[in-house]
Amino acid sequence: MNDATLSAPILDAPRTAPAEGQSFRVVGRPLAHHDFIDKVRGSLHYAADWRLPGMLYARVVRAPVPSARIISVDTAEARALPGVVAVLTADDVPCNRVVERASGGLGELAVEMPVLAKDRVRYAGEPVALIAAVSQQIADEAAELVYVDYEELPGVFDPEEALAEDAPRVHDEGNVLVTWNIRRGDVQAALAEADLVVEGEYRTQHVEHAYLEPEAGVGWIENGVVTLRVSTQVIEHAAVIAQILGLPENKVRVISSYMGGGFGGKEDMTVEPYLALLVWHTRKPVRMIWDRQESLLASTKRHPFIMRYRTGVRRDGTIVAQDIDIIGDAGAYPYLSARVLFAGAAVSCGPYRTPNASLRSRAVFTNNVPSSAFRGFGAMQVVFGYESQMDRIAEALGLPKEEVRRRNFLAKGDTIPTGETLDTTVAVGETLRRALDRLGEPTAPSGPGKRVGRGFACNMQPYGRTIWFRDRASAWLSLQSDGTLLLRSGVTDLGGGQAASLCQIASEVLGVPLDQISVYIGDTALNPPAGGTFATRQLYMSGNAMLHAARELRDRLAPVAAEMLGCTTEELVFEDGSVRVAHGDRKGHSISLAELAAGCEQRAVHTSHLGIWRAEAGTFDPVTGQGDSFPDYTYGTHAAEVEVDTETGEVRVLRYVASHDVGVAINPLRVEGQIQGGAMQGLGYALMEDMALNEGQPGSTLFANYLIPSALDMPDVEVEIVESGEGKGPLNARGIGEPPIAPCAAAIANAIADAIGQRPTRLPFSPERVLELCERAAASGRKEPT
Amino acid sequence: MSKRLISLSVNGRRHDVWVSPSDLLLDVLHDELGLSEVRYGCGEGVCGTCTVEFDGEPVSACLMFAVQAEGHEIKTLSSLLGEDGSLHPLQECFLRHGAAQCGFCTPGMVVTAHCLAERGGRPTREEIRRELVGNLCRCTGYTKILDAVEEYVDTVASRKAEQPR
Amino acid sequence: MVCAPFEYLRVSGYDEAVHALAEHGEEAKLLAGGQSLGPMLALRLARPGVLIDINDIDDGQPSLDDGFLHVPALTRHATLIRSPLISRHVPLLGAVASQVGNVRVRNRGTMGGTMAHADPTAEIPCASLALDAEVVVHGQGGERTVAARDFFLTYLTTVLEPTEVVRAVRFPVLRPRQGWSFAEMVRRASDFAVVAVAASVQLDPDGDTIRTADLALAGVADRPVLGEREALASLTGTTGAQERIASVAKAVAEATSPESDVHASGSYRRRLVEVLTRRTLTEAVERARRNGGAVR
Repeated sequence: MNDATLSAPILDAPRTAPAEGQSFRVVGRPLAHHDFIDKVRGSLHYAADWRLPGMLYARVVRAPVPSARIISVDTAEARALPGVVAVLTADDVPCNRVVERASGGLGELAVEMPVLAKDRVRYAGEPVALIAAVSQQIADEAAELVYVDYEELPGVFDPEEALAEDAPRVHDEGNVLVTWNIRRGDVQAALAEADLVVEGEYRTQHVEHAYLEPEAGVGWIENGVVTLRVSTQVIEHAAVIAQILGLPENKVRVISSYMGGGFGGKEDMTVEPYLALLVWHTRKPVRMIWDRQESLLASTKRHPFIMRYRTGVRRDGTIVAQDIDIIGDAGAYPYLSARVLFAGAAVSCGPYRTPNASLRSRAVFTNNVPSSAFRGFGAMQVVFGYESQMDRIAEALGLPKEEVRRRNFLAKGDTIPTGETLDTTVAVGETLRRALDRLGEPTAPSGPGKRVGRGFACNMQPYGRTIWFRDRASAWLSLQSDGTLLLRSGVTDLGGGQAASLCQIASEVLGVPLDQISVYIGDTALNPPAGGTFATRQLYMSGNAMLHAARELRDRLAPVAAEMLGCTTEELVFEDGSVRVAHGDRKGHSISLAELAAGCEQRAVHTSHLGIWRAEAGTFDPVTGQGDSFPDYTYGTHAAEVEVDTETGEVRVLRYVASHDVGVAINPLRVEGQIQGGAMQGLGYALMEDMALNEGQPGSTLFANYLIPSALDMPDVEVEIVESGEGKGPLNARGIGEPPIAPCAAAIANAIADAIGQRPTRLPFSPERVLELCERAAASGRKEPT
Repeated sequence: MSKRLISLSVNGRRHDVWVSPSDLLLDVLHDELGLSEVRYGCGEGVCGTCTVEFDGEPVSACLMFAVQAEGHEIKTLSSLLGEDGSLHPLQECFLRHGAAQCGFCTPGMVVTAHCLAERGGRPTREEIRRELVGNLCRCTGYTKILDAVEEYVDTVASRKAEQPR
Repeated sequence: MVCAPFEYLRVSGYDEAVHALAEHGEEAKLLAGGQSLGPMLALRLARPGVLIDINDIDDGQPSLDDGFLHVPALTRHATLIRSPLISRHVPLLGAVASQVGNVRVRNRGTMGGTMAHADPTAEIPCASLALDAEVVVHGQGGERTVAARDFFLTYLTTVLEPTEVVRAVRFPVLRPRQGWSFAEMVRRASDFAVVAVAASVQLDPDGDTIRTADLALAGVADRPVLGEREALASLTGTTGAQERIASVAKAVAEATSPESDVHASGSYRRRLVEVLTRRTLTEAVERARRNGGAVR
């Protein structure tokens, strides 16, 4: 324990890393605090837990068909129903279009999305009208009385079919939203010279975030400002909402309640524009909660990918080239597809040196429900591709699977296909070792007809936004007169401890006990912008902002404390709610933070501070396919043991180990929680979950039929946290929100292939599909390489 | 349909409320009685976020009408708190193990686990899994929840074993 | 969605329930456990004008009655699982009940409710066919008894008249040298079965050869159905050797023509029928031998 090093160099330039040999008081401890306590008590108020006098209840009227022309919308009966206050259609929207620029202007089609469909419907579930009424029951009655006359049009539901010249156009502008190309070296020459070229095609499905809290919010007008308190990851949508209403930006305020999960599904607007329109038109408070079934039908989904890999290797397993083509089903509107497909292409080679690469990805419109952000964000689907390829290479060359990977792992200083050089350590090898060690001895099959197999998958997942967005975040903190601390940040909290970790960081720097820190988050009017919780960016961005704000505040307070205590600032330690002299003549003397606050007041020294942190910036050239992509990556390995019932195709996961390098674990309890939860969501993706869209209609919109894992379906996720000590987050942490969902499908695929000798290439690995593979294996007579 | 006055016994207290027959117990507890820990998650009885104790056993408040609850004892998570608002030992276990992330499923999870513990015995981890199968969690992967419940039921069972018969 | 408005009646006896049904006609719907009806109301798939709540009816506990286990209609699934009487005398029923839904469903769901709801993938109706149970029906003219095997007509439809209500289900008690088994394939723990199979095997007095084998299937048709009679009859007089059971299972599967849905295709379901039939018949024979037969 060496607290002096933490507080000593307080006047140096902002820096992310802790000093050499530094130890922490609060950081690194498995602590349950702040929102944890309210959550366990049940006293946290989510978006739906808000009631105002005279509040109205809302309902969205949605199109039942995936592709149609709207001939007419008749709202007369709905309006006439007693208790109905407003029925709105496209004509009532001041500015009925949202234009997404997800690529940051790097070449996607400028396609407009209406807030309410006016003359054309492009997916089943598209909003057509809005109702506000004095009760939910009346609003629901009224929704059934809105008569829309649809003329059905041919639709296109398969992204490959949508690429055809004569395919129905989802938008007049074209069906290909964006094409990304990342190129390095000479792929064709390298493939021609390779000892072996392994080809594989992999397909993934539509899946739903399935947060337990459905989309919800309450809106009202206060001082002429449309105020929304909603479950959202991004309060910055306030600007878009203002645009839709035709209001100045400062007349819309968005407050984010603590979310009951988001996973990317609350990164785009959900209830916001509809709620805002109803509030604006009725001038009354309005509550909108999407039904679960509505959420399943119409909320954004994860992009299904079709991935085609051609990987060239030398006889010793060294990768010489990757030729990769990815098609992502964007659904009916752009949302964040351009960025998702960029991320997919950027890391499609995985954590492996790839001297020659041709990586192409396309986002293609269909008349399916729109796809957008979902934990893993394109970088997740491709793990299934590249880690299936790695196993195939090992099988074809007769090399150990671990060895093939080790021969190709990236290292600090290596150049990746975008042309960037990795500037932090790549501890993927350590995660691989830890995961395999933890898996230990194999389990014997439980009976005849059962086969046990093992597999693992390594991954790299960006943390932080695409670098050309020149990301920044701010945080504000204030030492109160009684020595307590008040934090303000525009961060939104998904349940990943986004707010609490800011408290931990501030506590670490200023020595204020956690229970004497209050944190205010997610409010566009009152809290400094933090830029939304997505892309595993908040610990990285707001964590750094808070770290630097706290250090800068401490640097301002320290001279006052030194003066009061008669020592130098270098001799001070901030801890346990006081400032203590740790060295020198005055060693042992101390003042409380309340006394320090009073001292500052006398000297007219501000005890509050706003810190702004800017991430590294860069540019990407979409023509050459070279440039800057992401600030850094989190690496990991998951290892699985499965048992396959070869008669029914059922796959039981017997053991599951997940290991990631998080640089430094700010709160190991939360890190473990993120990894366990991410892995479970990934296991659902691998084995159970599928929206099963058919001609644009989901197989079911019942939560009973959308199968997320229960407590009984999967084993405990065993966690191995690796702390390399290097990362670009605060105190050298790496982001861990998204990384743990990504390797699961590949790890399970590799385990199934190991068990039965046939490789699944289409997600999810339902019993039916696995049984087909078992039968194919039986027909081929023996277990053989795939 | 006309509203009627019913009397509900919730968390040991009588509440007289005007309800329509079609008002769900969930909505009356959440909106009328202010028990916001009883939450809408799916309306199908699948997810478990609206779990309450009904005469000592867990039920889905989204699959009962408030009028049906007259004459029965309803308990929600709030009933576990001490008079001074202190956490129940089971909640303490959840806290200690970090068995919540977004927290949306937590009340239902705790209520179901509490009913299990009240039934006595020392359920195994597998039995706990079986009991919690209808309380879905999308954040934690269940491991920490199972750890928390396991610790609590073990403590309760040990304490019972120590008591003279 | 919030369900459409309705009137609510509580009744305290079956005559009163039947009377209310007669009075309100097609507008009326009975409310027992509400675990299936609840979501249908919330999603407005059902919109009765009147809901008749029968939960106040005190119809007693399961009891033995002349070779039958009498299970009153309002018996909750949780009671079936915890009842020593049932685990002793109709063990298949207890085992099946423990597979129904989650703890909340089992706390509210009732015997009469699951039978009257007639979901073709439900476990208990399937078991009632395998065990050749009887459904006691209460109507305006008094009671009548219908064999479970004749009770289910098609999706969510039974032989119940609009003014009739299930009052009890009677299961024959386990006899010496009788064995049972239940297996189901679910996509997620606690969910409805993709395919479920309930089997019951009675050995001859010699304790070795099979006298009768009964088999019921769920998830393969518009209602729970019996396994193909001829194939099962071919087990009579045999010792239930593996190859014999395997060929019966194959024949039982071939006689089904399940439809596809979001969880599985028809052909996969048929495959499951074969596998689960083989497994349940094998286990039922083993149990029959342990239950007073000749243990091999």
